Amino acid sequence: MNDDLQPIDPSELAGIDPTGGLDELLIFGHPGTRRHFLKQVAGTSAAISLGPALMGIGSIEAAETDATSGGNASAAVTHVQLRINGRDHKLEIDPRTTLLDALREHLQLTGSKKGCDHGQCGACTVLVNGRRINSCLSLAVTHEGDEITTIEGLATGDELHPVQAAFLEHDGFQCGYCTPGQICSAVACISEGHARSDAEIREWMSGNLCRCGAYPNIVAAVKEAQSKTPAKAS
Amino acid sequence: MSATTLIGPARSRVDGRLKVTGAAKYSVEFEVPKCAYGWTVESNIAKGKITAIETKAAQAVPGVLAVLTHLNMPKFKEAPKKEGGGGGAGIRNEERFPLSDDGVYYAGQYVALVVAETIEQARHAASLVRVSYAPEEPLLTMEAAVRKADKPKKNNDTPVQINKGDVATALKDASLVKIEQTYITPTETHNPIEMSGTIAHWEDDQKLTLYDATQFVKGVQNILARSLGLELENVRIICPFVGGAFGCKGAVWMHVLLAAMGSKVAGVPVKMHVTRRNMFVGAGHRTPTRQTLSLAATKDGKLQAIQHVSETLTSPVGQFTESCGSRSTGVMYESPSIRVEETVYPVNVSTPTFMRAPGECPGTYALECAMDELAIALKMDPVALRLANHADNHPTKNVPFSAKHLREAYQLGAEKFGWSKRNPELRSMRDGDLLVGWGMATATYPAHKMSAAAKVILRADNSATVQCATHDLGTGAYTAFTQISSEQLGVPFEKVTFELGKSDFPFGPVAGGSNSTGTVGTAIHEAAVLLHKALAELAVKDSKSPLYNTKIEEIGMVAEGRIGIVTDQTKSDSYADILKRAGRDSIEVQSEQKPPEENKKQAFQSWGAHFCEVKIDPLLPRVQVTRVVSVMNCGRIVSAKTARSQIMGGVTMGIGMALTEETSYDPATGLPVIRNLADYHVPTNADVPEIDVSFVGEPDFAFNPIGARGMGEIGITGIAAAIANAVYHATGKRVRDLPITPDKLI
Repeated sequence: MNDDLQPIDPSELAGIDPTGGLDELLIFGHPGTRRHFLKQVAGTSAAISLGPALMGIGSIEAAETDATSGGNASAAVTHVQLRINGRDHKLEIDPRTTLLDALREHLQLTGSKKGCDHGQCGACTVLVNGRRINSCLSLAVTHEGDEITTIEGLATGDELHPVQAAFLEHDGFQCGYCTPGQICSAVACISEGHARSDAEIREWMSGNLCRCGAYPNIVAAVKEAQSKTPAKAS
Repeated sequence: MSATTLIGPARSRVDGRLKVTGAAKYSVEFEVPKCAYGWTVESNIAKGKITAIETKAAQAVPGVLAVLTHLNMPKFKEAPKKEGGGGGAGIRNEERFPLSDDGVYYAGQYVALVVAETIEQARHAASLVRVSYAPEEPLLTMEAAVRKADKPKKNNDTPVQINKGDVATALKDASLVKIEQTYITPTETHNPIEMSGTIAHWEDDQKLTLYDATQFVKGVQNILARSLGLELENVRIICPFVGGAFGCKGAVWMHVLLAAMGSKVAGVPVKMHVTRRNMFVGAGHRTPTRQTLSLAATKDGKLQAIQHVSETLTSPVGQFTESCGSRSTGVMYESPSIRVEETVYPVNVSTPTFMRAPGECPGTYALECAMDELAIALKMDPVALRLANHADNHPTKNVPFSAKHLREAYQLGAEKFGWSKRNPELRSMRDGDLLVGWGMATATYPAHKMSAAAKVILRADNSATVQCATHDLGTGAYTAFTQISSEQLGVPFEKVTFELGKSDFPFGPVAGGSNSTGTVGTAIHEAAVLLHKALAELAVKDSKSPLYNTKIEEIGMVAEGRIGIVTDQTKSDSYADILKRAGRDSIEVQSEQKPPEENKKQAFQSWGAHFCEVKIDPLLPRVQVTRVVSVMNCGRIVSAKTARSQIMGGVTMGIGMALTEETSYDPATGLPVIRNLADYHVPTNADVPEIDVSFVGEPDFAFNPIGARGMGEIGITGIAAAIANAVYHATGKRVRDLPITPDKLI
């Protein structure tokens, strides 16, 4: 039960950006997809889009409470086509399905991990059009037309991506559960040009938690991979 | 060909490729056809009775297959209450079965389970379950629970109330230098990044397979079999990878039993992935502690008395106790008088469990801060004080420690850190505007031995498969056991496949207490002896073998892939030739699971020293740990790369313990108010500096044939004290309640 989450009265929301400005953070997919998102989930309840953004914690659970007043939310199914690791996948899913659950539960792409389901740990990090996002905070239906890359799409055949190889060499992980998110994040961190010093790597990799405590090795791995991957001009 | 060097090779993890490509399958990632999803409803009161549960709305949600409450939950069979991890019975920290009655014993207790076809349906339906309660006044604090306080005599058969010599007289002696202080540690939560989870799949009504995130597949198998009234061999537990655990996946928690029963009722496989929110209540935590240390020493720093009084909490439905004093003060320093008192208070808070170095971790925090305070009172260097009280013998068992090299750890650590440059005056060291503090502390963790067995299959192509129902939590077990197998069997590293994480395999104990490397390593050693004997038996009967008609007892491994006469190595034969001539493709042996041999003439304990530097802005006193040097003495280091990572991980978790981690509870309702990773601050990359890890000492062959004492836990012991001592050195402010947040330094 959501004992600490109260339904939001939409009448209190007048004049507030319904996304809470979170479009910028790619909560609803790439910028500009909010309208698309609202259209996709129109059959359920617009409250779904308000809940997580305004609660500021991205909790789908929060939206759930609102959705109940909208009636038969759970019966709805929507069709979506996702392009993942260069392949197109047609899915028939509940519109509330996050991108992470679509990957893990519907496509068996279990490399992307669920570590909190709240955008707080980074284990679910994937690349969407080259940018890193928390796939647990993003609804799958908002990603039609996007180029999604997961950990399964980084290696070329048997040849590991330089970031993967560097993580292996530097023992940049222990249990391995945060690792796919760390690696996807590191790929973007390098291409963003945010891996030019140890201090910069530490800061720009801090959205990905590693409870085993492999951070110094992650820094070493990102640094080595960076030296082998010329950064884009930033 | 035994490995006698202190440090083994620095290999990359054998399971590393699977982990960096996302191919490693964790428990809830196994593909099971027609799998449904379980979602729980939790109590929002800490104590009372459920008076009604309205489930109609939930049941009406499309896709919902079952809603279970105490009113319709099938009964579990009984399982014994007190259980440990060594023998294989399995561990239940929470003894009440889920949904077994209308009682509520702590906030967040599961009061209903919804099973539905999709996650979205299950989550939504669970939000529609309405529970009514008759709340009662909960006991939430030590003070409130004082009438229920218990002073346990033993914890896992080890005495925890210690009285050596006359502490009371020494503490009254006016000629001695004394300090007495109370130290507080808050509730800490393990928070591995993989949340606990299980897929329960009934193949028929008597056969159950569980894909469970666990540190103890054999324990889960045993408890599930008995709880559900099934034959042991009809319950299979599969867990090839664990996404971190730190203790919270050692016991069988309620979601595992709920998944199994939910699946039985719903008639489909059920996946339960515990939410992060529920990881703060449903999978254990480290109890808060209150510890009072009284030390008395002569003016030249010789301890005459140590008294360690510790108080901790447990839940009304569990029995776990955290033994702080006996596991730190009880082993650490030489003193003619030592007194340890431990008190446990049952409160209406979810059940605690072992978290990385249970007892030793909070215990060394308090003891090593107190030692720092004593050093300052004596105007003595903190390292010198520790050297002056070094214990060659176990201070309360009075037997010598085996292969103890703590003095070297202090010395090397001090050298690497540059300790001699420390100005002991408070607030004396600066880096620009920043205050700089240097602190140190001793680390310690006992060497635990449990029982295990291993199966070896050696093939004529000189490859081998070794199996044990042990676990890799990120510890590097796959790599370390491949290394040990290679050394012990005499098979090249690249040709060994080590398999773990299945209850079908020979017995492996709980992956806890830093026991696995030594325990499973010993089982591999015993299996290797059997393998060499089995090969010898083939060779001595084979007229074409150079070992024909030799006595079996004279034969042993003489080189990689060869057995021969140990005293005359000109006579030897290769594994491959022996098997080929015998017409065998392979040979298989299995060691026997037997209770570990006790050596009561020595004490086995690992040691270490942490040195750390902190920098603090005096205007906004946020503590940044900028340098850590850790030197460890853990017997043989089997796998250099993963061992270093283990110590780094312990230190990192200790940084969190010292500075940021705390699960707090609403004092009125007992509900945890911190239930996510945005509020519970585990260290991030930017919080952790370079950590310089070294190892000293020698393989401890008196402990086991591998010489390894294990190292999963020692890294976190002492480090919080080293940081707290550095903060005091930097600021002159002694914070005695963790975590050391900026508000406590202003």
